[in-house]
Amino acid sequence: MHKVMKAFLLTFISTVLIFGLAACGSSNNNSQSENAVNEPSNNQAANEPAAQDEKKEPVEIRFTWWGDTKRNEVYNAIADRFEEEYPHITVKREFGGWGDYWDRLTTQIAGGNAPDVVSMHQFYVSDYARRDALVDLETVVSSGELNLVDYPEAAINSGRINDTLYMVPKGVTMPGWAYNTALFDELGVAYPDMNWTWDDFVAKVTEIKEKSGSKNIWGAPDGGGGQPQPNFRYFLRQSGQDLYTEDGKLGFTKETLVEWWTMWDGLRQKGAIPDATTGTEYENAPLEQNMFVKGLTAITQIPANQIYLYQQQFKSGEIRMVRMPRKEGGENGEYIEGAYLSITKKSEHPKEAAMFINFFINSEKSLELFKVEQGSPASTKMSEFVKPLLDPAQQRAVAFIQETLPYSSPAVYAPLGAAEIEQAFKDNSTSIAFGKLTIEQAADGFMKTAESVLK
Amino acid sequence: MEKLKSFWKRNWVGYFFLTPWLFGLFALSAIPMGASLYLSFTNYDMFTSPVWAGFENYSSMMQDSKWQSAIKVTISYVFLGVPLQLIFALSVALLLNRGIRGIKFYRAIYYVPSLFGGSVAIALLWRQLFGREGVVNVILSHFGIEGMNWIATPDTALYTLIILKVWQFGAPMVIFLAGLKQVPVELYEASKIDGAGKWKQFLKITLPLITPVVFFNLVMQIIAAFQAFTPAYIVSGGSGGPLDSTLFYTLYLYQKGFGHFQMGYASAMAWFLLIMISILTALVFVTSKKWVYYQE
Repeated sequence: MHKVMKAFLLTFISTVLIFGLAACGSSNNNSQSENAVNEPSNNQAANEPAAQDEKKEPVEIRFTWWGDTKRNEVYNAIADRFEEEYPHITVKREFGGWGDYWDRLTTQIAGGNAPDVVSMHQFYVSDYARRDALVDLETVVSSGELNLVDYPEAAINSGRINDTLYMVPKGVTMPGWAYNTALFDELGVAYPDMNWTWDDFVAKVTEIKEKSGSKNIWGAPDGGGGQPQPNFRYFLRQSGQDLYTEDGKLGFTKETLVEWWTMWDGLRQKGAIPDATTGTEYENAPLEQNMFVKGLTAITQIPANQIYLYQQQFKSGEIRMVRMPRKEGGENGEYIEGAYLSITKKSEHPKEAAMFINFFINSEKSLELFKVEQGSPASTKMSEFVKPLLDPAQQRAVAFIQETLPYSSPAVYAPLGAAEIEQAFKDNSTSIAFGKLTIEQAADGFMKTAESVLK
Repeated sequence: MEKLKSFWKRNWVGYFFLTPWLFGLFALSAIPMGASLYLSFTNYDMFTSPVWAGFENYSSMMQDSKWQSAIKVTISYVFLGVPLQLIFALSVALLLNRGIRGIKFYRAIYYVPSLFGGSVAIALLWRQLFGREGVVNVILSHFGIEGMNWIATPDTALYTLIILKVWQFGAPMVIFLAGLKQVPVELYEASKIDGAGKWKQFLKITLPLITPVVFFNLVMQIIAAFQAFTPAYIVSGGSGGPLDSTLFYTLYLYQKGFGHFQMGYASAMAWFLLIMISILTALVFVTSKKWVYYQE
């Protein structure tokens, strides 16, 4: 017995020592993670008394979104107005930048403490929907909390996956290439045409570089890599393909990928787009400091709803937008994009959450502030309502969205494992940019990864 | 049985006082670790229940080229960063140990980088320092060298992080200082009479006598270096780029778990890391018999 005890103690002590060491070792890194963890747990702590106190039935729901400082002000104000309207409901808010937003949401949903109302996006919704983390909104529509009467069928359908309504649009938007008229005038370059082609695009980008005669002005950012949406996806759809097929396979051929990367590599060789190092440097730059705002690139690819945000950054000139370049003789690449709202499955107050969404997308009090923050309101009634409230840059955005929306056709949602495929797309195109792989090698590498992920 | 009874009789008070700590050990460490061990043998996407997969995660790890580059990056970071950091810490400690006035002040000042070296703010600062228009390039331009963006260039990005590691020399330095204070002054006096120079004194007296402290610092810093996460995460914007050149093991683990929904794979990675650190630490312990010299 004594021996056993001794053995036990020895194991025990060595375990303790290991943990002790581990704790010391990681203490340096804690400061960041603590901040990240604290926020949700505080909220949850605050959540419990509210749930227990049944007398006045005060309810607390949590709402989260991605965005910059400006958007945080707008959404906070909308949540404040909702609280005024429904004094028994408190809205706790959580927000962060685009990248951090998704990391945190994943963690929260997995941990069972996700906010009730979450902002959603086409790129990611299938990750959550296919894993059954979101509420079927049809239930709150039929129970009357959520009103979608003023919504065109296409807008509602853009929130459906496999016939289930997982999200409703805050606003719909379309991507395009934006440019500043002042810079074009200064360089003496003609504005791009609304219906330009990829050949025109290459020519224009090259012309800008030549006319600028500056080492630090490029035609456009490197759009060959990064996220495959929307640039590469448009190119694929114009070629009669898509990122993925309906049944969750890779939807394009190696040849199309090679064609795409060859086009961008040509621009890179000519020095018309930034070198890989510069591209990496600005990869995660916030809007106020990105290459376009700093005047390093003359055109940039953004969603139309951001036109006004960019306009605010420039003293002179007008930010205008043209369609994504077309493929000569190809199909239209357009598909509806936007920012959406969903309710998480674990929400204890789906009814109040639905009331909040309804207020957010249907009430004048909210839309008065929202305007076209994340796209033109999908409700026909509300889009009429905001029209007179818009500044010129926002009006240009709405005009652009209305002009391009008719070109759009439904788009397939990503299968499971899409995150890895997007990573491989980005990695391989970066390797080309840094000259570590040939286009052929990179394309082979990508296809191999894609096959193994999507088996 | 009798012995166990008497053991409890004698020691229960001790264990009673340990309960809060024991609770922490089991609730916050042991049970989660057990769970992660189990998960490492499953496919688990955090939303649906885990599915048993045997050793699949471990075997696919070996074929994962990103995993391999993560290992390479981490090993270079540990094997370059830790020795450099310790040498630097020891040098500063030796300087401070020469009886200068205001040593307490300097000691505090040099310790500061260690306090917030691992923080987000410093990692952000590092981005600025080594950026294209950063301080480093401004200094270089005075010598007629045109700098580049050190952080966005695959060949140099990791070295900026190693410099950041070295810069956090404060904690080992303080421990070195304490060790240096323990070296008996008589030994220096005796050796001086025998005609030993400064360098010889360092090699023959100082270094052997502080080997226990070197050993301690080495183990601590190796473990810390393997677990480094924040600098790479912030400096590369979470990507481990450019071209995976700053893809620390922990960063890839994080990407797998929280970006790609592969918690099983991430757990397997975590256990591999634990084993790797244990083996390396054990190696240091084994070799220590040869080079660590304890007085008495």
